[in-house]
Amino acid sequence: MQAFGLRTHAWNTAWRSMLLLAGFPLLLAVMALGVGMIFGSEQRDLGRAFGNALRNLPWLYAMAWVGALIWFAIAWVAHNRILDWATGAHPVTRAEEPRLWNLLENLCISRGMRMPRLAIIETEAMNAYAAGLSREAGSVTVTRGLMQALDDRELAAVLAHELSHIRNGDARLGLIAAVFVGVISLGFDMMTRTRRAVRAGRRGGWRINTGSRNNNNAGWAALIGVLMIALAWLLATVLRMALSRNREFLADAGAVELTSDPDAMITALRKVEGHADMPEVPPQVRALFLEDASDNALSSLMATHPPIGDRVAALVKFAGGRDPGPIAPPPAVEAETPAWAQQDATDETVRIASGPAATPAPWWQGPAQGTGTGASPWGKR
Amino acid sequence: MLWVILGIIVVVIVWLVIVYNRLVTLRQVTGRSWSDVDVQLKQRHDLIPNLVETVKGYAAHEKTTLDAVIQARNAAVTAQAQGPAAAGPAEGALGAALGRLFALSEAYPDLKANQNFLSLQSELSDIENKIAAARRFYNSSVAEYNAMTESVPAVFFARSMGFQQRGFFELPEGERVAVQAAPAVKF
Repeated sequence: MQAFGLRTHAWNTAWRSMLLLAGFPLLLAVMALGVGMIFGSEQRDLGRAFGNALRNLPWLYAMAWVGALIWFAIAWVAHNRILDWATGAHPVTRAEEPRLWNLLENLCISRGMRMPRLAIIETEAMNAYAAGLSREAGSVTVTRGLMQALDDRELAAVLAHELSHIRNGDARLGLIAAVFVGVISLGFDMMTRTRRAVRAGRRGGWRINTGSRNNNNAGWAALIGVLMIALAWLLATVLRMALSRNREFLADAGAVELTSDPDAMITALRKVEGHADMPEVPPQVRALFLEDASDNALSSLMATHPPIGDRVAALVKFAGGRDPGPIAPPPAVEAETPAWAQQDATDETVRIASGPAATPAPWWQGPAQGTGTGASPWGKR
Repeated sequence: MLWVILGIIVVVIVWLVIVYNRLVTLRQVTGRSWSDVDVQLKQRHDLIPNLVETVKGYAAHEKTTLDAVIQARNAAVTAQAQGPAAAGPAEGALGAALGRLFALSEAYPDLKANQNFLSLQSELSDIENKIAAARRFYNSSVAEYNAMTESVPAVFFARSMGFQQRGFFELPEGERVAVQAAPAVKF
């Protein structure tokens, strides 16, 4: 349906993310079929291998689901603990941060929500994130830099954005997507390393000009199976990122609905723009943030967050906000950064830029996605 | 064949139910956002008698201006109860009267130095900012609701099922300027 305003925009976005989510079971099935093709590659010809794969599909699919569920259970338990550990956030009380606490509490009261745990990361970067796999056990974390740079209205808008993430269950959704991608990539790993696939490959298909005719076909079956799994992996990754971007739009809309103040959300986004960089945080965790600045270096397909410009444009179009345009940083902040801190910061970027090994990702989040680490599904493994 | 027809009927019914529920939600949102405006308007009206009393202490003989403010305020209170469409012009008149009152205060240095007057002035300007934000949110939710009632399929049944179009809360052009410009406080 057509979007006339904020609410209809939010409905459409939610509907789209349900469609995206429905893609994951489908891709899991594609992967199971690919695994079946590899198992069936000892059959005489391609058609028979395919038939074999189809016959084996139900139990392979069930196996994949069992794997996903086990993975999900482990990730669920680990989620919050690892998040705080990875970002260096520390919880705060009302007495320590009355301003932040009151803003958040007002928002919660106005929607009858339970107050989430509030935490702060001591850094100059401007960012925030919401975690928590259920509405009851949510937590909202903001950085010190964000608190200092935004006024009350803007800070309330950011907190409302994070509260919307909790209300919409986005951390859970992101975890589900990550688990699907993880299971599919695990399948890819196992299949490219099993002796069966290697044997089939050596026998024929991958060296197409040699070998007998029959074995040739068998090799093709294994190759097609591997390609199917690789394709499923690639599409699952793209889907996961699209879902993440979709949920950002939804949370922006929810925040404006909560605060009835589109302008504050827009200026907050504009202020955060270009200052949200937190290179010390693993990329999987950054996907949960208010803004993921590392997106700029990537193709739009692999970004966890939509560009700020697009988010602002949506708010202008659907919520009637006014866009002041990009906001220049207050120069005073730059000058206040002590020399040693600047040195540290450059060190950090150099370290990050030097390679993916510098940011160890929590294993339960699945392989690094959208970071340009070179671990492409097509890459040599 | 029968099943296909039955399926189509079920899909259509589900679709209509979704549209109906969305109309209900949108109407709810407009009502809620109007009450946000309403609260702010009431606070504004409640501040004005205080302001007039304070000004009277220094400029009692400026009776016409003061009476105009009181009258505009009373008219606005009545109009507020009649809904957004009526409240708009009345609030505009009140804003204009208030503007004259503040202009007049320029001639009374003692009044301008009065702490009570200053705090009332800044409080009013704060409330006017809030009204402006709440007004825009209300208007955009009304626009959304109205557009939904006018679009297919809602246009066929919305009116007969009680989804009336809502009025916008529009301020006259002059008042809009007054609302957006905060009063300058000089010392």
